[in-house]
Amino acid sequence: MNKNIPQEIQRFDLSARIQHIIMFTTFLILSFTGWGLKYAYAEPSSAWISIWGGPRVAGIIHRIAGIAMLLDFIYHQFYLLNLARKKDLRLTIIPMPKDLVDMIHQFMYYFGLRKERPYFGKFTYLQKFDYWAVYWGMFIIGTSGFFLAFPVTVSALFPTWTLAWAWDVLFIMHSDEALLAIVFILIIHFYNEHLRSEYFPMNWLWLTGKMPIEQFKHHHPAEYDHLYGKGSEKKK
Amino acid sequence: MRIWLNALLSMLFTFLLITTAGAATDSATCLSCHGSMEGAVNVSKDKYEKSVHGSFDCVMCHVAPKGAQHQGMGGAAPDKAVKEFAAAIAPKGLKDTLAAAACVGCHPDKVEDYKGSIHGQNVIVKKSADGPVCTSCHGVPHYIEKRPSMASKVYRFNIVESCGKCHEEKHITEKYKFSPLVMERYKESFHGRKLKLGHAGAPSCANCHGSHAIVSAKDPKSPVSSVEAKKKTCGNAACHPGATEKFVAAITHQPLHPVAHFAEIALILLTVGVFMFIIIHVLLDIFADIRDRLFRKGGDHHE
Repeated sequence: MNKNIPQEIQRFDLSARIQHIIMFTTFLILSFTGWGLKYAYAEPSSAWISIWGGPRVAGIIHRIAGIAMLLDFIYHQFYLLNLARKKDLRLTIIPMPKDLVDMIHQFMYYFGLRKERPYFGKFTYLQKFDYWAVYWGMFIIGTSGFFLAFPVTVSALFPTWTLAWAWDVLFIMHSDEALLAIVFILIIHFYNEHLRSEYFPMNWLWLTGKMPIEQFKHHHPAEYDHLYGKGSEKKK
Repeated sequence: MRIWLNALLSMLFTFLLITTAGAATDSATCLSCHGSMEGAVNVSKDKYEKSVHGSFDCVMCHVAPKGAQHQGMGGAAPDKAVKEFAAAIAPKGLKDTLAAAACVGCHPDKVEDYKGSIHGQNVIVKKSADGPVCTSCHGVPHYIEKRPSMASKVYRFNIVESCGKCHEEKHITEKYKFSPLVMERYKESFHGRKLKLGHAGAPSCANCHGSHAIVSAKDPKSPVSSVEAKKKTCGNAACHPGATEKFVAAITHQPLHPVAHFAEIALILLTVGVFMFIIIHVLLDIFADIRDRLFRKGGDHHE
């Protein structure tokens, strides 16, 4: 084994970790307050919303959390620009044809058709999906939420021919896609980062930003090889 | 001998009571029977006394109770306004129309509004039994409570149900060509949901459409008749100041537009699709994890 290989590998810098904390805090607050309105006719909702200070206060909390999340998302774009400026940005999160191959290999592995796990890079296809799901959510839920939060002001932007359905579509987008986001996080994210036996109760990466090298090699072999394995010596 | 005297005395006393009862017209007298009777003639003493009209004598409204058992009971002859209103709402076919019309005695302004409303016109001019009279919305006349009370049928948290009694009713919506989904669409709107959660500012039906003087939304007098009227109604300082033409299009109570309908179906399919995919993915991963722990080691790449 190469002596230059560290015990742990840095996966996320401090800024990214703080962005993640703001993202999930606002996500939870938005889910908790929004859920009560989405299921207003289910009985515990009135009591649940009163815990949040009643419908009026819950609405204000929801708007503030929404704006904070949008700002966090916008900040992330500047963070990426800054990394690019410092030539520190590798496009490892962009979905590639290899991700489709990885996914097929993953399912083959599940069904016993392959002996080895997929040759995952820095981010697996599920992690990429997780990452880009935020962009989808920001586009669908963020814009509709912004429109619904300031309806009188924002209505000026609507073309007249959309008026017969625009408001209903915004409401449906906001509510249905929020449910999708919650379900997605609850299942994939909670399973992958909390419930898996190797991580339970949680993957501490969200606080430390670091991953033990053995785990890293196990989950991201292509990235490991890229950094320390075959050929990496030659590059240096 | 003394026993006989006692018996005679008590009989005399009972007789005395019965004759006075025959002449008495206070609510206690009526409730001594009606308080314990079964069925439609029952009036709960407790609930009646708690109601806003609980201090009234029954005969103030029921001026001429029918039947031999009520002989000698009755109130002052109804005045002209009550008689006229009773004649007007006769098409409703109530048991005691005169009593139902008695409201006008104390609430003439409300009745005047009602007479001009689409509800009043339906009963009075069209002579239909479909339209509501006072008690249709305010509930059982004996138990009417003040509005800021959950017991009031016209309290803002209850009025949606009260309007829905007719406006959700299939034969009414078909006959009068209402939007069949008016209640459903209101309830699923932000207004309906917030009202359900107890939001102090969420409007119920009456806040936008009016109450006693309510008219059809097609009537120019309606606060929701046109875009201009809606801009004023929605743009109320406490609600959405500055409401624009495009803003007021948000609430219609009409069935979903096809574009919105298909957008909803598309998003539901997306949600269900992603849901199925990730559930299967997680389950397979768990099974593979168990399999690897039992029978294999790792599955790592060994180069």
